[in-house]
Amino acid sequence: MATVKFSNIVKNFKDNQVLKRVDLEIKDHEFVVIVGPSGCGKTTLLRMLAGLEEISSGEIHIDDTLVNHLHPSKRQIAMVFQDYALYPHMTVEENMSFSLRIKSAPRKEIQERVAEAASILQLGKLLKRMPKQLSGGQRQRVAIGRAIVRQPKVFLFDEPLSNLDAKLREEMRVEIAKLYQRLGATIIYVTHDQVEAMTLAGRIVIMNQGVIQQVGTPIEVYRKPDNLFVAGFIGSPTMNFIEGTLRVEKGHVRFVSPSLSLDLPASLLPAEGAHEGREAVIGVRPDDVYAGREAGKNCSQKVDAVLEVSELLGHRENLYLKAGDLRLLATVEAFFNQSPGSVVPVCFNFENMHVFDKASQKRLSA
Amino acid sequence: MELLRSVYEVAGFILLIALGVAALEGYFYYHFKFHDRPWFFWAGLAVFPLLVWSGFVAGGIAKPGLFAWLFAIEAVVLAFFRYAVKGRHSLAYLLLLPAFVGLALLLVYPFLFEVYLSFHDLKLTTIMMWKNTGKIPFVGLEQYVKVFTTSPLSEVTFWALLGRTLLWTFSNVFFHVLGGFALALLLNNAISLKGVYRTLLVIPWAMPQVVAVLAMRGEFHSQNGFVNIILGRIAEAYPLLAGLGVGPVQWLSDYPLLTCTIINVWLGIPFMMVVILGGLQSISTSYYDAADIDGASYFQKLRYITLPLVKPVLMPAVTLGTVWTFNNINVIYLVTGQAGGTEQADILVSALYKAAFTYNRYSYSAAFAIVVFALLFFISVTYLHGFDAAKDER
Repeated sequence: MATVKFSNIVKNFKDNQVLKRVDLEIKDHEFVVIVGPSGCGKTTLLRMLAGLEEISSGEIHIDDTLVNHLHPSKRQIAMVFQDYALYPHMTVEENMSFSLRIKSAPRKEIQERVAEAASILQLGKLLKRMPKQLSGGQRQRVAIGRAIVRQPKVFLFDEPLSNLDAKLREEMRVEIAKLYQRLGATIIYVTHDQVEAMTLAGRIVIMNQGVIQQVGTPIEVYRKPDNLFVAGFIGSPTMNFIEGTLRVEKGHVRFVSPSLSLDLPASLLPAEGAHEGREAVIGVRPDDVYAGREAGKNCSQKVDAVLEVSELLGHRENLYLKAGDLRLLATVEAFFNQSPGSVVPVCFNFENMHVFDKASQKRLSA
Repeated sequence: MELLRSVYEVAGFILLIALGVAALEGYFYYHFKFHDRPWFFWAGLAVFPLLVWSGFVAGGIAKPGLFAWLFAIEAVVLAFFRYAVKGRHSLAYLLLLPAFVGLALLLVYPFLFEVYLSFHDLKLTTIMMWKNTGKIPFVGLEQYVKVFTTSPLSEVTFWALLGRTLLWTFSNVFFHVLGGFALALLLNNAISLKGVYRTLLVIPWAMPQVVAVLAMRGEFHSQNGFVNIILGRIAEAYPLLAGLGVGPVQWLSDYPLLTCTIINVWLGIPFMMVVILGGLQSISTSYYDAADIDGASYFQKLRYITLPLVKPVLMPAVTLGTVWTFNNINVIYLVTGQAGGTEQADILVSALYKAAFTYNRYSYSAAFAIVVFALLFFISVTYLHGFDAAKDER
């Protein structure tokens, strides 16, 4: 198994710079998920590591070996593609053994390795089938099996679950997590789905517009997003953002916006003179917006809001609220017994609140 | 006035066709629409045979007993529509009818007439008898026996022609596919000016075949043709090659079939190229990415990925190409068939053409054509069978 190091990676497609000086180190045995909206350059980064895409500038090392000019097959990586890329005219077995057969590996070794991968993925009964005779999930497993057979240093997954339906996707997510535990391999996994990222990753790399926004464990990027983009991208439903101005008052900072003013506790944002008059954005997750009875129990500084719509999810309920001109989403315990149009007291959990500078989009709060 | 007259004649012809189609549609409309009315049989039997019969009488070609025939046919048609069709799918059939009638006139009638001819004896000496009496001698299978035992031309036999045709067909199709594949692979790369190359390469296909073939025939002229001039220059410049026998050649008289093959290969490559290029472009690039990671070389990718995945588009094209080449009279006739031409390059269909229209052996050529048809039918079915098998594999 292996470490991977990206240094100063740049990728240009004609005049369009899709990757802007990307630096990233991936440790041995690590499961790293690269996540970001489409077009952020995450797949390009992965394909450059695989050797399928030219590197405009910068260096990629696998285990201290510079691989910039190494042929894909020499990099000891294996890739699982979004559309699986199973050769349609070959059986499952032929697909899995293709890389060994073209190297003219001994037949015994081919059989052993295919059998091993098939037993890991429970593909034994499917070996003689054609890809078109398989379901989406089975194809996905064959694609992973093809990767395992190659015994690579690094596994690359390029949006492997995006062609599956929601239920199957959950199942395969668990399978991939189990597989990681079993193989203990270095895995780099690209997805646009933040749920996959949160559930699978040891570390998450969040990318936007060719720039890495934050690298951290799932809990770090969830609890302490470095900037507005990460705050908005990670977490479902999306975080509430409130724009306003900061005022430094005796010993604390006061956040002032047209529809809402809050005294921020010093634990959230120390009263520094530099904050005076700063344009800021407050971020608070729907789970940390208390409404109705919860608001009564938990906090001070209540605001009155009008309930516009409520969505029952089962054990939780989404409340779409409006305080002045401000729209807020609160997720509360089901069953919230208020009809749309009624006035609801709302307050916030300051412990899990985030303050961002509006100009630089960076995090201000601790 | 001449112009006006032609316009008038064409318009009249079109009007006649339209009236014919309308009459047919009306005829079948009656049978679809009123099939369950009590008066369906009586009205049909009273009207349609009478109408047709009076048409025959007016045309002066009525014969005794004709009316009874028409009456019987109409009874069958009426019963068919009443008890079998029962008015089902009437709109679909009425809409398809003009096409069916067109096909029947253009394909079915000539084919049936050809079968009729092949069992009789129509040739230069019996054609006047046919014209005067409308009858030609019935000879049974004699024409078919002649096809395999006598020469359609002056010397070559059927078997020699068949061998030559197979050689001609398979060598042509082989080089079409080979050349088309090579060019398609080149064009499938990301090269600049791709559109220009593609247009240039498609020209032989887009040009009328007669023009293309006659132009190429000129290039193979023994003294003034491009090919011989170049060969002469090469022989002058490299005496070593000249010593090995490179030099001007009497293409049209010494190697007529080879000349035809070269010309036809040149003509046929663009079609295969376009078909294969379409097939190549439909192959997802992720297969090649996967093969790259698996470590396949260029030729391994060609062998294990490109070829099997192009096969589904290639097989129908090869079937078509085989039939077209087998039937290709244009190239052979235009290169070798004119006055004083040779028989050395004749394939089955060009011999057939000469037998019918140079030697006026109509019944013989009809039998000959049916044999050729059977051969092609067999080849196509074999190919399509192979194609189905290839499809099941995927």
